[in-house]
Formats: sequence, C-alpha cells, structure tokens
Amino acid sequence: MIRDLLCMTAPVREGFDIPCHEIGSKMSNPGAALVAGLHGDEINGTFILSRLADFLNGVESGKYPELKLVKRVLIIPAVNVLGINLRTRTWPFDKSDINRMFPGSTTGETTQRIAYAVLEATKRADYRIDIHTASSDFEEIPQVRLHGPTAAERETALLFGLPAVMERSLSPVFSTTLLSSWKVWPGRSFVLRVGQAGLVQLDHCQRVFRSLVAFLGRVGILEGVNIAAEDEEVCCFDKASAFRVYAEKAGTFVSDRQVGRWVGSGQELGYIYDSFSGNVIEKVLSPVAGLLTGIRRHPLLFEGDLILRVNKKG
Amino acid sequence: MSVPSSMKIETFFTIEMPYRERMDIRRTVFTGGNGPRVAVVAGIHGDELEGLYVCHLLSCWLEQLQRTFPGSLLGTVELYPATNTLGLDTLTRGLPVFDIDLNRTFPGSPGGPLPERLAAALMTALSGSALVVDIHASNIYLREIPQVRINQEFDDMLVPLARRMNIDLIWLHSAATVLETTVAHSLNSCGTPCLVAEMGVGMRITPKYCSQLMAGILNVWRDIGVLADDVEIPEACHTPLIADDSNVHYLNAQTSGLFVPATSHWTNVRRGEILGTIISPFHGDILSEVRSPVDGVLFTLREYPLVYEGSLMARVMARKGGVS
Repeated sequence: MIRDLLCMTAPVREGFDIPCHEIGSKMSNPGAALVAGLHGDEINGTFILSRLADFLNGVESGKYPELKLVKRVLIIPAVNVLGINLRTRTWPFDKSDINRMFPGSTTGETTQRIAYAVLEATKRADYRIDIHTASSDFEEIPQVRLHGPTAAERETALLFGLPAVMERSLSPVFSTTLLSSWKVWPGRSFVLRVGQAGLVQLDHCQRVFRSLVAFLGRVGILEGVNIAAEDEEVCCFDKASAFRVYAEKAGTFVSDRQVGRWVGSGQELGYIYDSFSGNVIEKVLSPVAGLLTGIRRHPLLFEGDLILRVNKKG
Repeated sequence: MSVPSSMKIETFFTIEMPYRERMDIRRTVFTGGNGPRVAVVAGIHGDELEGLYVCHLLSCWLEQLQRTFPGSLLGTVELYPATNTLGLDTLTRGLPVFDIDLNRTFPGSPGGPLPERLAAALMTALSGSALVVDIHASNIYLREIPQVRINQEFDDMLVPLARRMNIDLIWLHSAATVLETTVAHSLNSCGTPCLVAEMGVGMRITPKYCSQLMAGILNVWRDIGVLADDVEIPEACHTPLIADDSNVHYLNAQTSGLFVPATSHWTNVRRGEILGTIISPFHGDILSEVRSPVDGVLFTLREYPLVYEGSLMARVMARKGGVS
C-alpha cells in the first residue's frame, strides 16, 4: 500500500506529498522502517529502497512463495522529494538541510514539518534504518554507521553483513538528525552509508539490497530467507582505527583504487598533479595497512582536503 | 600622553586552491596603545552584507581618529569584514565548493579541510580578545531590527555589554546543541566574550542600522578602555527591549502563496491586527490572513514574498519593558 506521510501546498504549483510504502500486516507497529533521500542528491539509497519495496511487494503478492513477511515494513525511498527532482541535497526553496531539522514540529518551518511527519511515521518501528551516501566528492564503502551505540545496536549492526561497521562519537550537529531523534525511542537505529552522492553505484546498491534482505531475515521480519554468507568478514572499526590522508598540496587528484580493498602500509594509492603544469607534485601513500574505506572522487583538491581513509584492523 | 597608532591590512589565513590561485582572508588592524584588543567579525555567511558596511564605517571613523586624535586609540582593533571571502565574492551563503555553513564548523581543527582550518584560524586569532562582535544580517527571507542574540548560558557575561550596544532588542535564547558549533559559542565557552549582532536583511545593506550599530560598538569600546574616555563618539541613544522564549511569538504560514505585508517593519501592533495576507497569483481570493497574536512589537517581517506552508512571516514580541 502507498500512503502519503504528509501533503503540503506549494506557492504556485500543485501541492506535493511524501509517499511511503507500507507493506505487510497492518496490525501493531512496523517491524522495520527504512528511510532514504533526506538529502536529494543521495540517489543510491533511494534506488535501493525503491527496489526493496518492489521486492517486498512481490513477497506479499506471492511472487516468492518461499518467503513470508511476518511484520509490517515501512519504506520511504525519498523524503526530500523536490530535492530529488531538482537534484539538490537540501530543501530547494530555502536550502535548509532536512536532516538538521529533527525532531521537527507541526507548526514550524516547512522542513521542520516534514521532519516531524517522518519521525512520527517511523519512531515506533522495532528497527529503523536511514540510508545516506557521502557527498558527491567522496566515495564511502557500504557500511553501518553507529553514533553512540548501545551494546544491542553494536551486536545487531553485524546482522547487515556489510563489510564495515564504523563508530562515530556524538557531535552537536548530530542532535538535529533523524538518527538522534530515533534513539530516544525503544528499538534499534542505524545509519547506512553507501558510496557517493549523485550516482547509482550498482555494485554498492546490489550489496546493500542483499544486506537489507538478509537483515530482515535475521531479525525475523521476513521468513524463509536463504542467507548466503558474504565473501568478506565484517570489520568493526572504532574512531581510533581511522587513518586519514589530507592533501598537503592543492591540485588534481587521480586514483584508480576501489573502496573495500585491503592496502599495505606505504602503498601508492594515487597522485596529485599540478593543475597547471601537469607535474606530479605528490604521491599519495597509504599511512597504514588496512581497509580502504573511503576515497576522494572529485579530482580538484584544495589544500587540506580529505583524500582517503584507511581503517586499521584492531 | 599621546599614543602612536597605526593601521594595516594583512592576510591572516591563506590556503592553496586547485588551479594556481590562493584564497587569502584579510583583516584590518588598528594598533594604538597597550589597552584591550577587540574584534569585529562579518561576512561569515556570504549573503550577509550589513556587517561589511559596519566594518567600513568603523574603519572610516578610526582613520579619522588617527588623523585628529591619534592618541585616543588606547588598544587594538581588528576588523574581519569578509570572513567567508569566496562566498561573498560569489554570492553564496555557505562556503563554496564545500557547501558548508562556516558558522557550524567551530571550533574547527588546524589540520583538516578548509572549513575546519579557517574556523581554527579564526579561533586562534580571536581568542583572548576583550570583546568580539560577530555581525550577521538576517537571511534573504526576513528583515530584522538591530538586535543582539545571547545564549542564556552566557547572559551574565554578555547582557551588560549588550545593553550598551545601541541596539533595539536583546534576545535571550535557550541553549541549542547545534549552536555550540558557532563562533560565538566557541569563543564564549573559552572565556572570550562574543556578542552576536543581527540586523537588516540578506544581500542588502541598511545604512541607518549600520550607523546605529557602529555607534553602539564605539560606545562599548570606550566603556572597556579601547578608546579614551574623552573621545567623542556618535550618540548612542537606543535602549533595548528584552525578548526571550516566553514572549516571542512566531507566525508561520498556514498555506503557501505570496505574502503581502499590510504593515511596516518595527512597529507596535495590536492583538488581532492584520500584519499581511497570503494570496494566490492565479485568482483574486485571499488564501490566509496573518494576524498578530498579541499586543507587541513587530520585530521580524518577511522580506521575500513567496512562502511555503510553514515559512516564517513575522515575529512579534509581547513587551516586557526596556532596560536602563
């Protein structure tokens, strides 16, 4: 079933809504709520969730007779609907970031009202998942991102089977996010970060799609899932395990390395060229042996820009 | 005894850009005696120009002072008129390329990307000042009267200074975690008093407000010994009203359309008085009337007419009385 979370007017065009899929039993609270597209340029998440909705609707219609959805799943492929259509990260009218508006309000600014509607629809779910990407400048390995997790969340994060579980400390900005607002409610809350903004990265999307189906199977929301083990182990990384390389010089960064590969200490991972003369001005080396969990994709570098991150296995 | 004074424009932050250019951020420094050091920061948001004009007025006044009474500058004045240089030069509110609000990156970090480095450099430069004034215009949507906004966490330290700033409103707001990433919160937390002045509207200058704030800044500088006691400054005759979360009323649009104000900004309004209407350009009907919820002062009024459902159109403050 498709339901409108929120219907609002617009100044000179037709009104708009934020639709969501409600799939499975209407009884009780949702077993899982999955959200993407709080940022309008993070298309991987929207693609993954629209495909997941199609798959679970197929389960409900009997297309996969071996599978049974035993709890309701709520899926919002895109919160920032206008942002998706206009290819902008923020709410296009006033450039506000919807993921800085939580817990929202019924009487406040437009984006606060949107935030409130999303939180109300999702907060009572047993498992809540918000999918993001990095910016369009940077590519992240598909990962579970935990902020100040409970022990139960740490344990449950492994059930996604994604290659990395990354912990981050709480920050002042975090307090305005959907994840932060979810955390005051019973249940378990996760952010998945997948690839980079502005693209559908099919390998990453397929991997996360599989991980979400496996997760729903492992937590008992979707019965009958045949869970194949991933080729790679899941690595849990705390903040101290991250080694970042920042650009000591500005220029043009070029690399053919893929995220998710293990690299050696001192291994060459890319080059910085002088953008005018074309000379190589810096070889970019891995600071440690570890997993390449993120790398810059936009070639133009300011001095000080983050180039890559390698996480050392504990 | 006369104190020699000097004025110089210097680069306090520089960073290499991808193709040949460097981004330099400059400040103007007036050096007098060994008295207190103070600073004015403007242009953290690239679409806010009011503070740039205040810096010009202060420079103009200080240059004149150097010519006429060179010994009257007892301390050091640092002006940072264009903190978000690239944003100002390209009409962008945030930091271009990084798409980040610079005033959400403090206290920053000296080894990180540009926004972090710039924030850290500003913190280093400003820490230890006797007073920092961080000047903001409103955004492009709203017009504000000259005011100082103070986090209640720091009201004991800041309200006495704000009272002397020749502004019309002191707004004491409750602590919000996200505001901990501003330059003002970061400075106040480390003991450097920082007042956030807000006035006018984005992408414009309001000369009357700028002159009013300049007089207030000079007034406080004289109070704290940056300027000699006997120096003549423009009259500072404005007494602020006090607002807090209990007496500020927000008027958000009930529907989308075109907001047409029916009253002027910075006026007394009565409960039930029509402040404006929301209309549709497609037909002649009025979609919504905007009425004041209380007797009070209309201190915020929408400047940009298009509204979405929820857009802020006005703020009215129920009067609590002035302070002397």
